[in-house]
Amino acid sequence: MTDAGLQGPRSELGEILHHLVRDPLGLAGLIIVTVIVASAAFAPWIAPYDPIALNVPDRLQGPGGAHLLGTDQLGRDTFSRVIWGGRVALQVALPTIGGAIFFGLLLGMIAGYGPRWLDSLIVLLFDTVRSFPTVMFALAVVALVGPSLNTVIIVIMATSIPTYGRVVRTLTQSLREAEFISAERSLGASTARIMSVHILPNVLGPLVVLAAMDIPTVVGLEAGLSFLGMGVKPPTPSWGSLLNDGYNLIRNTPWLIVAGGMPLILTTIGFTFLGEALRDVVDPKLRGKGGK
Amino acid sequence: MNRPTIAWTRVGLPRRSFLKGATALGGLATTGLMLPRAAHAAGGTLKTRTYADIRSMDPAFSQGVVDEEIQAAIYNKLIQYKPGREWGWELDAAAMVEQADDTHINFALRDDIGFTNGFGAMTAEDVKFSFERIIDDALESTNKPDWGPLDHVEVTGERTGTIVLKNAFQPLWSITLPYIAGNIVSKAAFESVGGKIDTQPVATSGPYLHAGWEPKQKTTLKRNPDWKGEAVAFDEIQIFHIDDEKAAEIAFEAGEIDFTRVSLDSVERLKSNPIQGATLDEYPSLYYVWVGMNLDNPKLANLKLRQAIQYAIDVPSIMAAAYFGAAEPSTGIIAPGLPGHRDASLTGVNADLEKAQALMAESGESGVSLAIDILNKSANVTAAQIIQANLAAIGITLEIRLHEGATFWELGSNEDLELVLNRFSMTPDPYYATSWFIAEQAGIWNWERFRNDEFDAIHLAAQSEADQAKRAEMYARAQDLMEESGAYKFLTHEATPVIYRNSVIPALRPDGLPLYRYFGAA
Amino acid sequence: MLSFIIKRIGLAAVITALAVTALFLIIHMIPGDPVSTMLGPRATPEMRTALEERMGLDRPLIVQIALFFGNMLRGDLGMDVFSNRPVTQIVLGQVPYTLGLILVSISWAAVLGVALGCYSAVNRNSLGDRLTGVLSVSVIAVPAFVVALYSLLVFAVKLQWFPAIGAGEAGNLGDQLHHLVLPSLAIGLSWVGYIARLVRASMLEVLGEGHIRTARAFGLPEGRVVFGYALRLAILPTVTVIGVGMGFLLSAAVFTEIVFSRPGLGKLVIDSITTRNYPVVMGSVLFSTLIFVVSTTLADIINAILDPRIRAGK
Repeated sequence: MTDAGLQGPRSELGEILHHLVRDPLGLAGLIIVTVIVASAAFAPWIAPYDPIALNVPDRLQGPGGAHLLGTDQLGRDTFSRVIWGGRVALQVALPTIGGAIFFGLLLGMIAGYGPRWLDSLIVLLFDTVRSFPTVMFALAVVALVGPSLNTVIIVIMATSIPTYGRVVRTLTQSLREAEFISAERSLGASTARIMSVHILPNVLGPLVVLAAMDIPTVVGLEAGLSFLGMGVKPPTPSWGSLLNDGYNLIRNTPWLIVAGGMPLILTTIGFTFLGEALRDVVDPKLRGKGGK
Repeated sequence: MNRPTIAWTRVGLPRRSFLKGATALGGLATTGLMLPRAAHAAGGTLKTRTYADIRSMDPAFSQGVVDEEIQAAIYNKLIQYKPGREWGWELDAAAMVEQADDTHINFALRDDIGFTNGFGAMTAEDVKFSFERIIDDALESTNKPDWGPLDHVEVTGERTGTIVLKNAFQPLWSITLPYIAGNIVSKAAFESVGGKIDTQPVATSGPYLHAGWEPKQKTTLKRNPDWKGEAVAFDEIQIFHIDDEKAAEIAFEAGEIDFTRVSLDSVERLKSNPIQGATLDEYPSLYYVWVGMNLDNPKLANLKLRQAIQYAIDVPSIMAAAYFGAAEPSTGIIAPGLPGHRDASLTGVNADLEKAQALMAESGESGVSLAIDILNKSANVTAAQIIQANLAAIGITLEIRLHEGATFWELGSNEDLELVLNRFSMTPDPYYATSWFIAEQAGIWNWERFRNDEFDAIHLAAQSEADQAKRAEMYARAQDLMEESGAYKFLTHEATPVIYRNSVIPALRPDGLPLYRYFGAA
Repeated sequence: MLSFIIKRIGLAAVITALAVTALFLIIHMIPGDPVSTMLGPRATPEMRTALEERMGLDRPLIVQIALFFGNMLRGDLGMDVFSNRPVTQIVLGQVPYTLGLILVSISWAAVLGVALGCYSAVNRNSLGDRLTGVLSVSVIAVPAFVVALYSLLVFAVKLQWFPAIGAGEAGNLGDQLHHLVLPSLAIGLSWVGYIARLVRASMLEVLGEGHIRTARAFGLPEGRVVFGYALRLAILPTVTVIGVGMGFLLSAAVFTEIVFSRPGLGKLVIDSITTRNYPVVMGSVLFSTLIFVVSTTLADIINAILDPRIRAGK
């Protein structure tokens, strides 16, 4: 979705960045997010150990010494697993949100611009999907097709589409009645043209904000499913599987929980700060409406 | 524990001396030598824990230890397991029980046992009903195999009768009479409710009464005031359903329960950092854990490849990381203490990388990529990751596939199964272990689809073999055959560490499972 | 007004029906079946067939769905595969734990959140306001299960101030509340921030509106303006948000129940999915969906009654 942000003219992006940096929250968010993304991107160079290399004699060590955050029950370096876990988190978050935005846009614009019956049908669909508690839906689907990252991505994407779709629909509806669009229409512009030239650019801004605020939810959900053993396959490191190991060994060592939870908390805080600041810049009117 | 050992014999005794023993015991028992078990039967409440919710209070549909822990306290059997470190039994509802010949077992009931809810005294008719209903096809009891070759029960008097078998059956004394299938229910009571029950007992006779069940929370037992046998120690037993062992330990430390099995990874901590006023005891366990390879899968058709895998797996690493050093490597499917246990396995315990690599080279296979299916439990996940690393060392890529219970236990019918990390429960007779690996079980519980005529013949012959030494030899040979097929790498029998408050005197089977009716108060 | 309410309830019914049908389809595509879980290792094929017949698993799917709806309307959700108890009874036994947990969580979060929000709105741009702002935003998206794990680690395992597992002894209210502290902390925490921000924003909006300005102009004491008029209006969106947020609350409850080994709908769902206990899965998800649909519908209706603008917009 950073790509989406680049759609605007160069100067606009610069202005947004300028505003972000001046807002202390925005700056903090930007820094945290940059650190997380960078450490995930450069994991092979940052992580001191191979995240899946076993060293059973050195298992369950506390922090300090050779291992910054200690080791797990197989003697794997926890810090390295945390760093690599960031990759998994982003590997899930990016396609999930990308897909949710794509389908949300598609369905939302159809609902907002199309005939009334189609609108009602799509809204009904959205409401139905939303009426399942996400976790329960995810559990059922994971039980159906077996645990894997792809399953997690598809499940979370499916449950997030309504969030985006609803926003797009509302924005499209209000834009549809706007004067400049009525004018275009009376000049004989095709629906496709109106959609792509006028409506799309106008709904993207709020969507980017929504996406930034949604990343923590997605990352948290992936971690939650991995925590329940329904996400990544071993030995892939994920923050959720770290937490799962930590929960199982809570009486033996606190460090796995501490290490698995910290990046999750940081990620959620970072992206929420960033999203908040972005929203203030992109669309001050949205203040207080996003979030849950 | 200061209890008289009046009715005790080892399962492993040769039949001749065993018969003498049983008769002698019968004599003793009929003279009414029933000493009070716990002098300190002062009352109070025992709070304990079980790992799953109950499924049924009907012995015919009991799902195993969770149900049996309760049923053993509320029903009577002819004989019960005797608490202690060695397998054995003692009399319960029987005043006398003796093996007359290979296929006939005579018994006499005590005359002071009655059923609750006005269903009267326990008679030989009740015994006949209880045993025969389990082999009745119409009832569809899941525990039918426990009764093996039972033909019928002959009622010879109000309280006497003879169990008639179709052929000799050694496991009768170790897993039939003293376990699930041996529970005696009231014929009249069961018939009054249509022949079977669910979770609510209709009439019981044991030293404790079933006083309530809160689903997913707890079962409450109360002292049976009409019980004429040895007095029991507690007025009430509360059995809390706490599936997670960690949670149970926390509950124990908080004083919420008095007895629980603890997880293996806690043993070290509890030893070095003991809980005040509590005792940690380690018991062996009968479970067996192994890596199986599907012989019907073309990917695993190469014997050398399977042997390479056998030698590549490093069991000590698995013991350290997955079982926290609290369990020992196993040599087969029959645990120490049971006839047929082998002192050593053929392929050893430590990984032999050189040999594994040599076998791999001999096999001519390269770029092998396999998958191992496991049940999603933390010990399995850890063990599988070690196996994954072990196999990587000989050039095999291993994918780990996690399953929940419902999908895992169906894998047997999957012909494409490759490797599987498996764990079976066990009863204290070797017959029970070999029964799953005969050719007939291929694709059902024999997931390796191991087919060996000699093995099948041994399984059949050993269940009737009266000479214990010979019987043990047969079971040892059976395990050699399994290992030679290259389809098995045996890992461990696990262990059963338990912790109890010092105010409680636990009464446990040699594998650490509780026998609540014999629990005492200190 | 009445037609809006009827329409809204009709919509809720349609959504529930769709959700149940979808769930039914999903569940019946899941590999693994309760028959083998239930009968255990030694089932014969004949026993399996008999049980399948008894559970109706041998009928066409469409018939199963129709039967399920028919029975559902009579309050009959079938029998638990394992214990043979009515599913309705099993699920209803667990609902109070989950609802209680959610209610306690959202209550403390609402009280604290509203207080913080009022304080922030009244003392706009003060240090306290800014601090509240940053803290609210910080906790808003932290996953409940992470808070649950941390509080379990710190307050139950290390400090041993609170029990780590279960829901407390039945009938012992004090004990039950003691067991509720950590789980409700985990679920409520993010809502404190959320509600505080919401109340602050709508309060500022309301404080700027005409009749409040009038009230102030008439010299009403500030306290009365804030708590008598503004708060009442400002709390409106909070009600809606809690209603709509029920899905999140339920999801959070699922994890929290697992972490603290609490009985409840979440634990029931997980247990029954892993054992393929279809009737119980259906029953418990149905109830969760109902809780969600009813609460959103109620929130919508309450809002429509209190705020005529929404009705006109529909």
